[in-house]
Amino acid sequence: MHVLVVEDEASLATELMHFLKQERYRCDWAPNGQDASEKIAVNLYDFILLDLGLPDYNGLDLLQEAKQLDHEPAIIILTARGSLEDRVQGLDLGADDYLPKPFSLLELQARMQAVLRRKFKVKSSVLAFHGFELDSADRRLSYQGQEITLTKKEYDLLHYLLLHKNRILTRLQLTEHIWGNILEDDYDSNYIDVHIKNLRKKLSAHSTIEWLETVRGVGYRLTV
Amino acid sequence: MRLQSKLTLFSAASKAVVLLLLVLVIPPLVHRVALHNTDDRLIQKREQVLRIIEEQGIESFISEEDNGAYGSYNLLKEEFISLEQIPEAVAVDTIENSLRKVEGEVVEYRVLSLTFEVEGNFYLMEIGRSLATIGENTDTLQQYALYFLVAVVLITVFIDLTFSKILLRPLMLIIRRLQRIGHPGAFKPQQLQTTTSDFLYLNNTINNMMGQIQAAFLKEKEFIGNVSHELLTPISILQTRLENLLTDPELPEHILIKMVENQKTLHRMKSIIQTLLLISRIENEQYLKNESVDLKILADEVAEEIAERAEVKQVGLEVNISEDWILPQANYTLLFTMLFNVVNNAIKYNKPDGKVTIEGHVNGKGYALKVKDTGIGIDAEQIPNLFNRFKRLHAPDGESHGLGLSIVQTVAQFHRIKLKVLSTPGEGTTFTFLFPKAEAVIAS
Repeated sequence: MHVLVVEDEASLATELMHFLKQERYRCDWAPNGQDASEKIAVNLYDFILLDLGLPDYNGLDLLQEAKQLDHEPAIIILTARGSLEDRVQGLDLGADDYLPKPFSLLELQARMQAVLRRKFKVKSSVLAFHGFELDSADRRLSYQGQEITLTKKEYDLLHYLLLHKNRILTRLQLTEHIWGNILEDDYDSNYIDVHIKNLRKKLSAHSTIEWLETVRGVGYRLTV
Repeated sequence: MRLQSKLTLFSAASKAVVLLLLVLVIPPLVHRVALHNTDDRLIQKREQVLRIIEEQGIESFISEEDNGAYGSYNLLKEEFISLEQIPEAVAVDTIENSLRKVEGEVVEYRVLSLTFEVEGNFYLMEIGRSLATIGENTDTLQQYALYFLVAVVLITVFIDLTFSKILLRPLMLIIRRLQRIGHPGAFKPQQLQTTTSDFLYLNNTINNMMGQIQAAFLKEKEFIGNVSHELLTPISILQTRLENLLTDPELPEHILIKMVENQKTLHRMKSIIQTLLLISRIENEQYLKNESVDLKILADEVAEEIAERAEVKQVGLEVNISEDWILPQANYTLLFTMLFNVVNNAIKYNKPDGKVTIEGHVNGKGYALKVKDTGIGIDAEQIPNLFNRFKRLHAPDGESHGLGLSIVQTVAQFHRIKLKVLSTPGEGTTFTFLFPKAEAVIAS
């Protein structure tokens, strides 16, 4: 996968690319609209991560340029402007997703995977792990054909852990994923622990689950 | 009470007092005047009689065969004159009321009595005038005076009313304009057509002050919006950097735990800024109210989203909406955030085995949505500060940033929802959203 990061903040671009490279993406960086415009004309990118607030370019113009390319790269808008109009306009102009800053890298990756799945019409939506199968199209979990009923939150947690398998997810990252769209007064990691406990109870009825680890004082990790 | 009503009442009351005084004072006054006139006439007559006696001699009135007395009445016994010889010289010169029997009828007279001497004989002269005549005159006069006064009072009260209404019209206009605006932001300066300089001054001052308030509001909103927006980029950098560091397998455990703490602190900062930005965007009308929101569905979805938290806190959560209500023009996401925050507080500050109930019913022309809890409650003196930004009542050192209820308030204002908080410390709190009557629905 070849990704172009269009971002005028060098530090942020560095962190983004560090993360993406770890996740085995190939990355280019364009610090301004001019550069980005040249790069998308020359290279065949699968993904463009586009900051709307560029010093020399209206990000939405760049979006239109990219949409005219034959190979149609997937585009995710990353912006601190985050107003409703921008969002609507961006999606209208053909962006595949929209992530307001500040965002979690894990969230970005989850969105990228979802976009890829849609864009390239990946048929199989089933993730298999330790004898369990998680079908992300139907939001269902089963163990050797036997269905396990999960609550919405339990499903989201398991899916997120699985998506970022072998990586420690902090309670905060999990909380943000589950409750992130609601702005509220405080953050209570207690709720995550209870959800994980309930999830473990349901899973361990079928198999041993030493692969769903607690990292003391930090969070959880699903190893595969 | 309105100024105009007060002025009218005052004018009517003062006139009523004057009228009452006159009604009380006029009868004795008229009576005295009438008596005075009568006395004058009696004295005039006395002079006439004395002159006649002097000209004609006393003999023409009193002769030996008359038993020394003379009397004369007019036909209707309204007046009499009597002359009488008296044996001794008693000096009498009075005017007083006295009762006289005339042809078997007792009549009250005003009587002038005078003794005088003619040729060594003493005489008593009495001239009387019936008081009934005086009384009749007085009554008539009094009646007409009363009619006249009542008419004068009514006319002047009416004139006062009309005039004060015209005079106070500019003030009414100012008040109506002020009543129409709920927030200084909605105020538009307008000129006033009047020649009363006080009202012109008042109007200009209000325009001026409101202008200053609006400018200050605008500046504050812009400032919050700009600062929050500018802070989002560095926070983004910090957040992604921390996330990358957390994945470093070389990281020793004690550093990892510190990193997690950093992440929490950063999250708190991010949350404050996002909240301020949200409030600023709502205040700047950057959100649309283009959805129709069913409050029953809203309450059910909030409850569903939050049910697991209630379970964790061992708090029962119940939605009990007897009557449904639809907001024709609203923003679902914002209303969700608003209700979520209130229900979340009701759960968070509850007691184990406590209860949270979301109730809804039609309230007059509007609708009341209530979130009741059996929690720790809020002290009465804390309630007015509840919506102040950064005010933390329960968790001064916790993770809360004290902006939850500011969001609630801003979203409520955006939708013209009134908030009411009733609380008994130790027993629980009822948080009420009062929705205004739905004009659009009624119009259709």
